[in-house]
Amino acid sequence: MNFLKSGIKTVLGAPEPGQQPSVAETVERLVERASNSTLLEDRRDACRALKALSRKYRLEVGAQGLDTLRQILELDRADNETINYALDTLNNVVSPSQFEDEEDKPHIPMNIGDQFTEMFIKDPHNIQLILDLLDEYDFRVRLSAVQFLISLLTNRTKDIQEIILDKPMGVSKMMDLLGDTREVIRNETLLLLIKLTKGNANIQKIVAFENAFDRLFEIVSSEGYSDGGIIVEDCLLLMLNLLKNNSSNINFFKEGSYIQKMLPMFNIPEESEEIGWSPQKVSNLHCMLQLVRTLVSPSNSAQIISNCQKIMKNVGLLDAMCNILMASGVPADILTETINSVGEVVRGEGSNQEFIGNVIAPSYPPRPAIIVLLMSMVNEKQPFPLRCAVLYCFQCYLSHNEMSQANLVQTLLPSSSDVALLMLLSQWMSHCPAAVSAFLQVPGGVGYLVNQTSSNEHDDNECLLQGLSAFLLAICINFNDDSVASYTRDSLKQLLLKRVGMELFCAKLGEVSRHELYNKAAKHPQLRVASPKEVLIDYEFCRLFKSLESVLGHSLAERRANGAEADEAELEQYKALIRQQDARLHELVHQLDALAGQARELQSTLNDSLAANSLLKDENTLLKAQVSANSIPIQPKPTQPDPKLVQYEERMLQLNGEVFRLNEEVTRLNGEVDRLNGELKTAKDAEKNSAEELEKLKKDQDDLLYLLANYDSKTNEYKMRLLQLGEPVEDDEPAEEDNPT
Amino acid sequence: MAYAYLFKYIIIGDTGVGKSCLLLQFTDKRFQPVHDLTIGVEFGARMITIDGKQIKLQIWDTAGQEAFRSITRSYYRGAAGALLVYDITRRETFNHLTTWLEDARQHSNSNMVIMLIGNKSDLESRREVKKEEGEAFAREHGLVFMETSAKTAANVEEAFINTAKEIYEKIQEGVFDINNEANGIKIGPQHSTAGAGGAGGAGAGGAPPGGCC
Ligand SMILES: Nc1nc2c(ncn2[C@@H]2O[C@H](COP(=O)(O)OP(=O)(O)OP(=O)(O)O)[C@@H](O)[C@H]2O)c(=O)[nH]1
Ligand SMILES: [Mg+2]
Repeated sequence: MNFLKSGIKTVLGAPEPGQQPSVAETVERLVERASNSTLLEDRRDACRALKALSRKYRLEVGAQGLDTLRQILELDRADNETINYALDTLNNVVSPSQFEDEEDKPHIPMNIGDQFTEMFIKDPHNIQLILDLLDEYDFRVRLSAVQFLISLLTNRTKDIQEIILDKPMGVSKMMDLLGDTREVIRNETLLLLIKLTKGNANIQKIVAFENAFDRLFEIVSSEGYSDGGIIVEDCLLLMLNLLKNNSSNINFFKEGSYIQKMLPMFNIPEESEEIGWSPQKVSNLHCMLQLVRTLVSPSNSAQIISNCQKIMKNVGLLDAMCNILMASGVPADILTETINSVGEVVRGEGSNQEFIGNVIAPSYPPRPAIIVLLMSMVNEKQPFPLRCAVLYCFQCYLSHNEMSQANLVQTLLPSSSDVALLMLLSQWMSHCPAAVSAFLQVPGGVGYLVNQTSSNEHDDNECLLQGLSAFLLAICINFNDDSVASYTRDSLKQLLLKRVGMELFCAKLGEVSRHELYNKAAKHPQLRVASPKEVLIDYEFCRLFKSLESVLGHSLAERRANGAEADEAELEQYKALIRQQDARLHELVHQLDALAGQARELQSTLNDSLAANSLLKDENTLLKAQVSANSIPIQPKPTQPDPKLVQYEERMLQLNGEVFRLNEEVTRLNGEVDRLNGELKTAKDAEKNSAEELEKLKKDQDDLLYLLANYDSKTNEYKMRLLQLGEPVEDDEPAEEDNPT
Repeated sequence: MAYAYLFKYIIIGDTGVGKSCLLLQFTDKRFQPVHDLTIGVEFGARMITIDGKQIKLQIWDTAGQEAFRSITRSYYRGAAGALLVYDITRRETFNHLTTWLEDARQHSNSNMVIMLIGNKSDLESRREVKKEEGEAFAREHGLVFMETSAKTAANVEEAFINTAKEIYEKIQEGVFDINNEANGIKIGPQHSTAGAGGAGGAGAGGAPPGGCC
């Protein structure tokens, strides 16, 4: 740091005594000097100082210096050292990664490099400046220019790709650097090209046109193929970029005989077991396998796939990959990926399928490699990805190829002790009509199963074998899509009835779950056996068997009774019925809800009415009391009309009015009660409780009516008495005329 | 498959003149009546025989659309031969030849053999450019000239093979530096010795069926 300070001092001259300039000020003065000084030495020193500051203060240097640095690249091309400083400074400013010096500066935005990149490429001519610098042979300049481009590409891949594509010879220039004899430049160029080609088909094609594959294979070979260092991996990664989803380049690769050149990559020396595999070798081989898979990827056009597959077999690549499968000491993930690759190299290609069908594993006794692979798939001790890979490979081996299907079953069937293979077949075929159909087409397949099922040997393993054969046959019937004319469900069933008989068949099916090994295996997902001989049945199979046993037995029994066609029609009927009933059920539930709501409403109306009724009762009582209180003094004075009588008359009229009002109220309530009665009647069925309430209501209502009637008669009585007393009593009639109901 | 030499070609010219059709006719012996606009660049290859030698042609069919012009320019440098195509039924494609030629001369190596092709000769009734005009232009600029039809295949084989012959002669004369792959020429892996097994015998005039590897 002291050195740096003194460096800056010599560039800027001594600072004013007593005050230290801020970083921003320092940068400003350096930039000013780099841009305006007439002396090259000054500009060079300023650039050197800026470079030194740019790791810790890239914000300041970038914000103030970007334009000046760009200008230096243009104007000071003659001085490599200055150019080099300027390039390095720019590279630091746009660097996608954080510098150690910056760690204590949280205020620097995370994407600062990205922002400066955006500023720098705003003028596409700036990229041209860098491309021009690639022509400079000077080691430092060339290297810095490449590194700067890598940083820019990392930040803004798409933008830079488009700019470079727009520059004539832009890509070609970078390709030229691959031939640089200085390894550092060459290696850095590889990284640049990997970034440059990512996801851009046009650039990929130009790079391929510029003999990239030749260059890359030269490097791979000079570095010792799979034993080479990370450079080999980089070369392969670049090739992968060039080929992935680029049919034009794949075509070029295949036409240019580059598939042949991949072969030495797969030569695994005999003594590899002792030496072991370095992590780099694993990576290299992994990339190479990816390359193989990219060429024959199922997403490519059928013609490309088939062409590449043929070439791979003809030039010995398939053979070499099979050798890796058979070699000892191969790491599991390489093995897995090799199996996947072999699968895709043979997929749908008859002669390649035949080829791997004939590969013999170096086991004792020798067995077909495909069988050894299959055994490893059902072996739970193998890593799961490996078992999946085998399954995939196996599918590829069988895909579009009756020959290999037949071969497979033929190789499987005679070895009756390989119960595991029947187990495998049942796992493969259950729930898969296509697989069933494939199996049914295999000559001799069904015959073998029927013979086994009807066999009468009583050896322990034979019983299991017979049971499994029955199980497989049941699967063939249950998951049969009737696509194989000679073995439709019905004809298979007929065959079974004739050759085995349903009872015996079901008995044989039962043999499986009664077997001692089955019961052992069903208990533990992990194999717990003393010797491989006992590994006949695994846990997964037990689960499958359990899930299918009853279904199969049942379906067979039903089929026996009704035949498949009838079954299905009947099933449809039942389904329709169930659907109907379901709909009806829904409807009823809805109705019930509505009725319950209605009942609740009625209940509350009823409550209101009851309250009103009791209020009226009270009023009635009060009136009665009043009436009786008034009537007592009337009796002792039956003589001449006196002023008191006028009073009475008035009072009487008042009471009459009151009575009239009550009458009306009662009529209204009667109407209300009638209405409630009606409503209650409709709700009665759904809501029995409300019926009881209604009963209560009725009773109350009767009481009330009784009371009112009572009152009515009393009023009449009063009227009569008044009449007897000689008082004219006006009738209710006129009032009633005023209120027609 | 073993070859004595490998030549890289490019096909250039305005959009719609029939570049892709010429390539397809040459590699697959098919004609494509619908204009399937080329995006960027497409690749094709075929083996021919010249002077008893197997010669592999790798052909890059470029896009004529203006938008792809800078991409096209990236292919000049590494090509040994170029087919410069115009459409005899559209004069403007002929008028643009000078621009194409300038571009080619500027970006290619000086020894690149350029074959001028007036395509769609089957459309005589709609002809806008006389054959003599094409001949004159070729003479003036030192090009080989031919009228072709990608539809009837007339002269298509000849166009590609004559270009190869021209390059081959230049090699014999020592004009090309065959060790510099940037010239678009490669020497085969087993120079001059006939390839061992495999399909595709060497027929005189060289026309193994397309799609052969
Ligand atoms: N009659 C006739 N039509 C042709 C001939 N060659 C091409 N065509 C038609 O011309 C149209 C354009 O052909 P392309 O080969 O796709 O043109 P291109 O030069 O590749 O065009 P770009 O890819 O856009 O540069 C298509 O409709 C072809 O069928 C020919 O010799 N005769
Ligand atoms: Mg085209």
